Amino acid sequence: MEPPPEVVHWMFGVGFLFLGLCLLAEAIIGRDVWRRRAWRAYLWPSIAFLMGVLMWPVMVFYTSSAIHMLAHSAWAQALMLAGGAQLGLVRGKLRSPVWELTLPLALLVSGFAFLIHEQNPWFFSRAAFLHHALGWTMLVGALITLGRAAQPRSPVFNAGFAMIMIATAALLFCDRNVAPIFGHLSPLAGGR
Amino acid sequence: MRAKALAAAVLVALALPTSALAHAVLLERVPTYGARLATAPRTVSLQFDQAVDAFANSIDVRSATGKVVTAGPAHTTDSGRKVVVPLRKLRKGAYTVRWHITSNEGHVISGVYTFGVRVKPPPPTEAYGAGGPTKFEYVAKWGYFVGLALLVGGLAFRLLVLRGRTNPALDRRFYWVVGAGVVGSIELGIIGFILRGADAFQLPLDQLIYGDLSPLARGTRFGTAFIAMTLGFALVGALLFLAWLTDRTILLWPAFVLGLVLCSGLSLSGHSAVDVGSSWKSELADYVHLVAACFWVGGLVMLAFVVWPTAPGLRRDAFHRFSQLAAVLVGAMVLAGAYLAYERLPAVSDLWRARYGQVLLIKSSLVVLALSWGALHHFVVAPALERGRGVGSRAVARSLRGESAVAIAILLVVAVLVDANPPAKPVQKPTQAVVTHK
Repeated sequence: MEPPPEVVHWMFGVGFLFLGLCLLAEAIIGRDVWRRRAWRAYLWPSIAFLMGVLMWPVMVFYTSSAIHMLAHSAWAQALMLAGGAQLGLVRGKLRSPVWELTLPLALLVSGFAFLIHEQNPWFFSRAAFLHHALGWTMLVGALITLGRAAQPRSPVFNAGFAMIMIATAALLFCDRNVAPIFGHLSPLAGGR
Repeated sequence: MRAKALAAAVLVALALPTSALAHAVLLERVPTYGARLATAPRTVSLQFDQAVDAFANSIDVRSATGKVVTAGPAHTTDSGRKVVVPLRKLRKGAYTVRWHITSNEGHVISGVYTFGVRVKPPPPTEAYGAGGPTKFEYVAKWGYFVGLALLVGGLAFRLLVLRGRTNPALDRRFYWVVGAGVVGSIELGIIGFILRGADAFQLPLDQLIYGDLSPLARGTRFGTAFIAMTLGFALVGALLFLAWLTDRTILLWPAFVLGLVLCSGLSLSGHSAVDVGSSWKSELADYVHLVAACFWVGGLVMLAFVVWPTAPGLRRDAFHRFSQLAAVLVGAMVLAGAYLAYERLPAVSDLWRARYGQVLLIKSSLVVLALSWGALHHFVVAPALERGRGVGSRAVARSLRGESAVAIAILLVVAVLVDANPPAKPVQKPTQAVVTHK
């Protein structure tokens, strides 16, 4: 009854794309202009939080292996934590700048979850390649957001963070359950 | 030179994940898990998404008594993607399939499931060879109960006892406590689910992470409860977060109601629902017992660790109101508990002969201790507070913390009790009709 995993990945790709575009717009026009409408400040953290809530059904309905479940649970919690902390900061409920570190922490955990849960090598199949690429993209994102936490108004870090989200969306859209990568598919995965 | 070193470091880092090994995903089982077959199957086959290495004993099929019913070694077909084992002629009964294969890169993937020939098979947790709960499982379940009590009891306290009277410091601590409750319920629920899988698989944790948990999630009441409760608690967490973020206490009500509904997941998947002789009455009694216990334990923690340190002005009222509520809770808890004990223990002597009875006896002793402590609070401390004495007393604070500690200790015994099997009820022999011929 569940949709194929690739379709679920595309759905989350839509979320990451929207999130990345909001961040890119904010990076281009500047935080002050972006936040002239108060609701815009809540936009991307709310999307991240909502995506975290929606990740739970994926976790409980795709139980083909324990590590798969644990990885999805890690992403659900990382998204809720990062989105929730940003919402708290925007709302003024959280004041300590330490809460900014939840974003790099969430990306770090997510990146490792991708790398650990994908057991195949890079060129095994397209899905394997994408999992590795997503893992490393998120680890790079963790470094960028660490810089962003230190310099919140830096256009480089803000644009970098936006691009990480857009790259994540693009990688998720590229996913196919069994498909070659650069024309290669491991014989173990059904290639010849 | 530095750039080269950096490039080398990046290359090494990129290469690391590629050394990880591949693992196959099971696509189909024939017969499938939980199947009740009209005719006996000739083979058991497992279809994977990639080629695997199978050994002669890769698929082990046993009857309910542990008798091996395979008729030959397992072998692969479909370019190594399908593993098949022939079976003997199966009689009516339940069968357990345990499989272990190796992905071509060396990882061992495992699984266990059950099917029945003209009978309904047991869940995988009761498959032949499945083990009992471990100490670690008890601790995880204990943490789960504490989380549930903090969440449901904390919300009940805030909405029914405090009724909106609060201050920022109390609020902050309240959200930390119920937040810890919801996170604990989710995390320990996941750990408990995987540990239950470990019992069924009988594998160490490092091998279990590649185990197929679908039969457990989809084929058991426990799995259904896990799915519903995980999703529900994620929603409760989101509602709590929104209530905190927007300062809208009204959002706590749906979180509370949902939490109450989710408690039924335990009653509908535990002894009261699946044991022989269970009925809607036992399920209801279990639910009332659980909810009353959550209100009581969570309320005590809130009173001792949230209200007392942060809101001196609310101490007397909160104590008085909770004391009144606790009297009702204790009554419901004791009545429901007594009914469940009557249902589960066929004879009074089972209290000291059967393990279930022994654990129940320990629990009852702790409950008596906690109730005596509660009675002291109800009949001595509450009237004193009403007269304006002892509001600032450290002894009262210590006493509340002590009663909370005993209540939390009771939950540990409960964690052991829910995994113990009640003694079997004696089978009633059918009365023989006496026919007299004149």
